[in-house]
Amino acid sequence: MSFYSFRRCCLFLAGLIIVGFSSAKTRLTTDGSNKRDPVFIDGGATLVYGIDENRDLIRLKQLDLDTLQSKPYYESANRHHVEVAFSRDGRYVSYTECTGNLTAQFVIKDLQEKKDYFVKHSGRGGTRSPAFAPDSSVVVYAFAEKGPQQLWSVDMEAKNKKQLTQCEGISNWPSFTPDGKTIIFSNTRENNYEIYSMDANGSNEKRLTENTIMDIRPVVSPNGKQIAFTSLRNGFYNVYVMNVDGTDVRQVTDSEERDDYPTWHPDGKRLALVSERKGKFDLYMVEVPSPGKITTKR
Amino acid sequence: MLDFGNFKARDCGNGIGRRSFLKTASALPFAFGAGYGGIDLEAARKLGDRAKAKSVILLWLWGGPSHLDTFDPKPDAPMEYRGPFGVIPTKTDGLQVTELLPQLAKRSHLYSVIRSMQTTNGGHPGAGTVGLTGFEENPTVHPNFGSIMSKHRGRSGALPPFFYLGQGIPRDLPRRIEGYGGGTLGKAYDPFLVSCSENGKVGIPTLDLLPGMTPNRIHNRRNLMAQLDDTSRKLDGKGVNGWNQAHHAAYGLLTDPKARDSFDLTTESQSTRDAYGQTSFGQSCLLARRLVETGVPYVQVNWSEYVETFTPNGDFGWDTHIYNFELLQDRHCPIFDRAFSALLDDMNSRGLLEDTLVVATGEFGRTPKISNRAAREHHKDCYFSIWAGAGIQPGRVIGESDKRGERPVTDPITPLMMGTTIAELSGIGARERAEMKVLDGGSVINELL
Repeated sequence: MSFYSFRRCCLFLAGLIIVGFSSAKTRLTTDGSNKRDPVFIDGGATLVYGIDENRDLIRLKQLDLDTLQSKPYYESANRHHVEVAFSRDGRYVSYTECTGNLTAQFVIKDLQEKKDYFVKHSGRGGTRSPAFAPDSSVVVYAFAEKGPQQLWSVDMEAKNKKQLTQCEGISNWPSFTPDGKTIIFSNTRENNYEIYSMDANGSNEKRLTENTIMDIRPVVSPNGKQIAFTSLRNGFYNVYVMNVDGTDVRQVTDSEERDDYPTWHPDGKRLALVSERKGKFDLYMVEVPSPGKITTKR
Repeated sequence: MLDFGNFKARDCGNGIGRRSFLKTASALPFAFGAGYGGIDLEAARKLGDRAKAKSVILLWLWGGPSHLDTFDPKPDAPMEYRGPFGVIPTKTDGLQVTELLPQLAKRSHLYSVIRSMQTTNGGHPGAGTVGLTGFEENPTVHPNFGSIMSKHRGRSGALPPFFYLGQGIPRDLPRRIEGYGGGTLGKAYDPFLVSCSENGKVGIPTLDLLPGMTPNRIHNRRNLMAQLDDTSRKLDGKGVNGWNQAHHAAYGLLTDPKARDSFDLTTESQSTRDAYGQTSFGQSCLLARRLVETGVPYVQVNWSEYVETFTPNGDFGWDTHIYNFELLQDRHCPIFDRAFSALLDDMNSRGLLEDTLVVATGEFGRTPKISNRAAREHHKDCYFSIWAGAGIQPGRVIGESDKRGERPVTDPITPLMMGTTIAELSGIGARERAEMKVLDGGSVINELL
């Protein structure tokens, strides 16, 4: 066993005694600064996330899961970067960048060709929550151009913009199934955020959750069978998992302090998330409860 | 019965009866001079009996928090108004809040909520001045409520009587809030500025002119005075007076061990510091508690200069023109829910709520109708304030807005009434206000008492 493997094992065992989780978990960072939007790259070896670097900058950082050392993802960044997403093949990255007073731009970077593309919309709204199609044909995101916030798509050069949804309310947090045929997202038309699925072209919509409290940030598992999401259904921000058809809801975390921003490890057995413990925000890894262990209603 | 002003309150949500409110009685200009309404001395004495607040903490939610998405949700309003958040019950009859405030929902027995606040100005600096002074800049700038308290109480001990906790004076891009300080009372009653980081590190901007001089290095009075004198000589004549005032205050608190200790958050238990959260606002709330515990009369905690909003180097706090719902859900409300809950718990367990008034509000609310950017804009016609502590009857809902949260359907409650109530509860009665020529025409929000 290598040193780092041994260290990871120790961290995992130490994590077992941390309270506030329904499942085994590991603490990945200890600085306590506000964090958001973690996402795995490099086959699960690296976790990229946003952090309040100081009071003037939200920066993307990358955490090496072997060494648990973090470094800036973009060393020279001097503007807020939030909600980063990567294409499955690692060629593209996208995020929202603050460009001025209450203005933002949606960036798609082609890392292979070293080109940047910018998505244009009318109005001063901000883009949200990019998600790449598994085949890197399009990136889907949320934007409010003329009222209700809808889901849109563009290709990898920020062209061929299409509006995918014509929903009432606010739509957000699209996530593709691995086959690229289905998009999971949240919408508020039923008084609060509920989770829905639809075909990738915007048709055949189905509602997956139903309660009076919000269900947000749905993320499809690597095998396409489960959805992780954040909900306040027990009164506080906690993370849940359900089958992709909305059945078999399982509570992953159970704390009066906040657990949020779930993202799947490529192994499909674990989630990384941001947890507030004792007023400090850090990244944790948590095991996903086995299917069939129903702990809460839809 | 004596009435001040023409405010008439509605029945409270918890069923208490309609009260008659204090109105300005027939003018008796001989009592306190023209422009300051006459006073029934017996009634004034009764009002004075209500004075309970040794100190005041104002949580200034700069930027304009959305009332619909926090303390005045409208779940039955049309979709283009109500917003995306569910509502949850509280311990107060008639009070629901959004799901973003679960901890404060559990503590509603400690505070009352006013849902019928209304101001006269829809821009940040202007509304900020109205919110902190009760009056528009016209062009006279009236004193901040804290400055009135500062003049009334005077200086006692090493600590200044009026603190601003935050990153300087709140401002938008064009200009600052002119009503931040002493106004017509003079700069002597300006607040003393202190910053507090998310790690509880306290900064005193006044001392930035003293290179390398930190509280930990202030051991030698002679060295400090020499450095102050040297710096003073380097300033032009115009700047020296104001600078001297601030530095005398800084000097006083740095050379007084008790005063110095009040800034040292590391003397708090880790669990207490944790409870407030590792945020600038949270640790500032803890510092505010320490300052009032030391006897400071007025502390204004500014929610400002943080990275919440999408503005480079911004100071816009709750000004959520874009990403309103995301920011409230991801950042503002969780931070506020935790910090304010911790402050209430901490103050309550120490008995400080008995004689400390705690108020939380912004300069206005946000438009009930969701904008084309899926956010909310400025809205001066309706917003909220929260009241707890000395002299306040907690667990009440005061005032009511219409079905869409656009306007109060009960008589509006104004910043001037807010300031007058703060003054009244702090022992600055009608006579004193008239003598100071402040808060003219203001009436007390009697339903709070």
